[in-house]
Amino acid sequence: MNWHAVKRQLNGWAILSFLAILLIVLPGVVVLVELFAPVNENWQHIQEYLLPRYVRNTLFIMLATGLLTTVIGTSLAWFVTVYDFPFRRFFKWALILPLAIPPYIGAYTYHGILNYTGVIQTTLRNQFGITVDQSYFNIMSIQGTVFIFTLFLYPYIYTITRAFLHNQSSSMIENARILGRGSWDIFFTVVIPISRVAIIGGVSLVLMEVLNDYGVVKYFGIQTFSTAIFSTWFGMKDTSSALKLAGTLMILVIAILTMERLVRGRKQFSYASTKVKPLKPRPLQGWHRYAVFAYVSIVFAIAFVIPFTQLTAWTFLTFDTVFTEEFWQLVWNTVRVAFIATVIILLFALIIANYTRLFPSNMTRVISKVTTLGYSIPGAAIAIAVITLFLWLDDKVLDMAKALDLSQTFVFRTTLIMLIFAYVIRFLAIGYNSIESGFEKVGKSFTEASRMLGWNTVQTFFRVDIPMIKGAIMSAFILVFIDIMKELPLTLFLQPFNFSTLATQAFKYVSDEKIHEAALASIVIVLMSGLLIFVSHKVLDKEAD
Amino acid sequence: MNKKYAALGISAALTTSLLAACASTDETTSNEGSDDSNVVNVYSSRHYDVDQQLYKQFEEETGIKVNVVEGKSDELLERLNTEGESTEADLFITADAGNLYQAKEAGHLQAVDSDELESNIPAKYRDTDNEWFGLTKRARVIVYSKDRVKPEELSTYEALTEEQWNGKVLVRPSENMYNISLLASFIEVNGVDEAKEWAKGLVNNMARDPQGNDRDQAKAVVAGEGDVAIMNTYYMGLMLNSEDEEEKKVAEELGVFFPNQDTTGTHVNISGIAMTKASKNTENAQKLMEFMSEPSAQEKFASVNYEYPVNESVEPNELLQSWGEFKEQDINLSVLGENQQEAIRIFNEVGWK
Repeated sequence: MNWHAVKRQLNGWAILSFLAILLIVLPGVVVLVELFAPVNENWQHIQEYLLPRYVRNTLFIMLATGLLTTVIGTSLAWFVTVYDFPFRRFFKWALILPLAIPPYIGAYTYHGILNYTGVIQTTLRNQFGITVDQSYFNIMSIQGTVFIFTLFLYPYIYTITRAFLHNQSSSMIENARILGRGSWDIFFTVVIPISRVAIIGGVSLVLMEVLNDYGVVKYFGIQTFSTAIFSTWFGMKDTSSALKLAGTLMILVIAILTMERLVRGRKQFSYASTKVKPLKPRPLQGWHRYAVFAYVSIVFAIAFVIPFTQLTAWTFLTFDTVFTEEFWQLVWNTVRVAFIATVIILLFALIIANYTRLFPSNMTRVISKVTTLGYSIPGAAIAIAVITLFLWLDDKVLDMAKALDLSQTFVFRTTLIMLIFAYVIRFLAIGYNSIESGFEKVGKSFTEASRMLGWNTVQTFFRVDIPMIKGAIMSAFILVFIDIMKELPLTLFLQPFNFSTLATQAFKYVSDEKIHEAALASIVIVLMSGLLIFVSHKVLDKEAD
Repeated sequence: MNKKYAALGISAALTTSLLAACASTDETTSNEGSDDSNVVNVYSSRHYDVDQQLYKQFEEETGIKVNVVEGKSDELLERLNTEGESTEADLFITADAGNLYQAKEAGHLQAVDSDELESNIPAKYRDTDNEWFGLTKRARVIVYSKDRVKPEELSTYEALTEEQWNGKVLVRPSENMYNISLLASFIEVNGVDEAKEWAKGLVNNMARDPQGNDRDQAKAVVAGEGDVAIMNTYYMGLMLNSEDEEEKKVAEELGVFFPNQDTTGTHVNISGIAMTKASKNTENAQKLMEFMSEPSAQEKFASVNYEYPVNESVEPNELLQSWGEFKEQDINLSVLGENQQEAIRIFNEVGWK
């Protein structure tokens, strides 16, 4: 390829990529600029009374959740891939289902189950006359927070690690078996080292979710970094200090992401052929079989069956008051806005991922890093930046309308465009990561062959690249769609007039202390997400076979 | 060639989906930009079905369409801060005088001169400059275990810091606005130092680290974690009328006590309504404000949430009447906002989580 050709190619892909990057940089800049602004008198107070406790709590939650999700996610992935036990095929996808329950919904459901009027204590009291010590049933603690995060976030690690083990580890594990290593030995000396990239990728997703969570810690009254941002912003009315906290959080997240990239960067896993030989599960003998089955069932029950059953019961309790004609409108709003935003995100992600892949340079490396930045920007900061931008935009439109003497103007802020725009900034990283790893897996050899045989990049993109990463595109779609459906802070902040989603509806009921009424909206979110997970699993499975 | 088509195709797809997105909200929002349209736009932190019914009734009576953004008070306020003069909102409905005060201080509100509002709403529940108006009121009271506490043992908020209540008091975390306003009122009534002493004393007497919401405090009393809790009156109403039998049982085991009857009075707060300075539909907005203060609307608006109506010609809900009348704190509610920052600092300093 000569220089001219490169230059010409850069134009189309590069311009679109830069455009997308610009969107993401914008709120990031708003936050980072504030980091260097002089401190005010509140900052002193925050440093003295709040920061030590907030930092301690946040670090504890991160460490404990990271550790527990790793243990649970990795062990489940290992059992499901390597051994055969009753209902293995069912658990293979069912273990992803807890991802369908947003942690804040899990949090209020578990609190509802365990508190004084919850089903457990009520049964003990009314049937057996036992009144228990409340502290044993108290979930609104820092340990309870870790419990909730672990239950509903471990699937990130499980999914990524399982896919890796299933596709890439067969030869190594089989060789180790032939060489006479025992299962434990293989797990610690072979599986953990070779899948560390996948595990770390999963853990970094978990940690970012934890850092940015607002619903769980707010409901439980645990003081963490993200509650600090909001209480400084809303409580102390100090936007400047709030943005400083947000900036600090952002740097922390960027550090996590960079670490993940460093670990991943050194190793490139790509298929030598399109057919990979998956690992054949080995039947378990004796009590091992039941021990594994019991372990897997217990995790699944606690992380999905129990909360789901409780939500169902509450839904029946309140169905008549909560289910109105407007409820369909909520469902439609949720699906519509999530669908549009997801499609836009995937288009951007495909363009950027293809661009950075085909034209590797320092610049594209920067672009690739920046793309994942949106995930690191606290929701509050995205909201401020987006509103500021649209105020400016509406102002310009108004000026134009005046100049043209139009009686009516168009106000962007009263439309869904603003909200969708914010979703794109927030979730582009998720779509991009899946698609990028899809591209990484297929490598460049097929694309290069296609180019050699005379198709240009665009023809190759549509006829070779996209069909090859169909699976990755679909999982990206589903991940992003589910995330948007669950999203809370941005939706609350940027919703236009007469617009609610299932998530905001559930949250409104919960914040009015009407837990039972929130169940219907919650369960619809869970069912729709669950269905998507099921469909994607079936399709991906078929593809793998 | 192909590349151009692809780029075109992608931009076309983007534009179409964006247009689709806004077209679908068009019916309600297209005419908000003009001055004389027949709408009123509301930012509301209340989310009750009755509110929707009242808006609908207002629409039928006046032909003015009510558009609503429902959200939490903090977010809506921050949205007003960011939007400033270009906000599309005409009215702001929120709980807590502290929030209304913040909106006023930030210059988002305008005075409304209306005889009807002034005759319907007593002066102490209105802003001194008529920039906001109370619609409902609620009291922050002491609830106690009927088993373990005799009402005669209770007297004032201040008495809860005494030795007798060590390890027996339940209250939610300090980030909650109801607590911030409660302490803000004490700063006004008793001065900063005494207010801080009170907060310190209460932290000392707490049965557990503050956690959960108001209902959780009630449950904890019945569960025996503590003997008394500080909570808002309407939660008692909501629990007594819950679909959940167990919640009813909890509420039935609790008594409601209005503290400080012989001294400074029980802390009362409001939910209220205000017109934004940037309102483009001021006439419609004022009509809706007046409508909400009328007896027929007041009755529904207050009783759905077991709150007291501000309009004195309207009787409160039967349950509230059964608790009897009580002496209220005699302060202008604006001070709840004025002392808010101080209250937050005190909470942080005394370690009230």
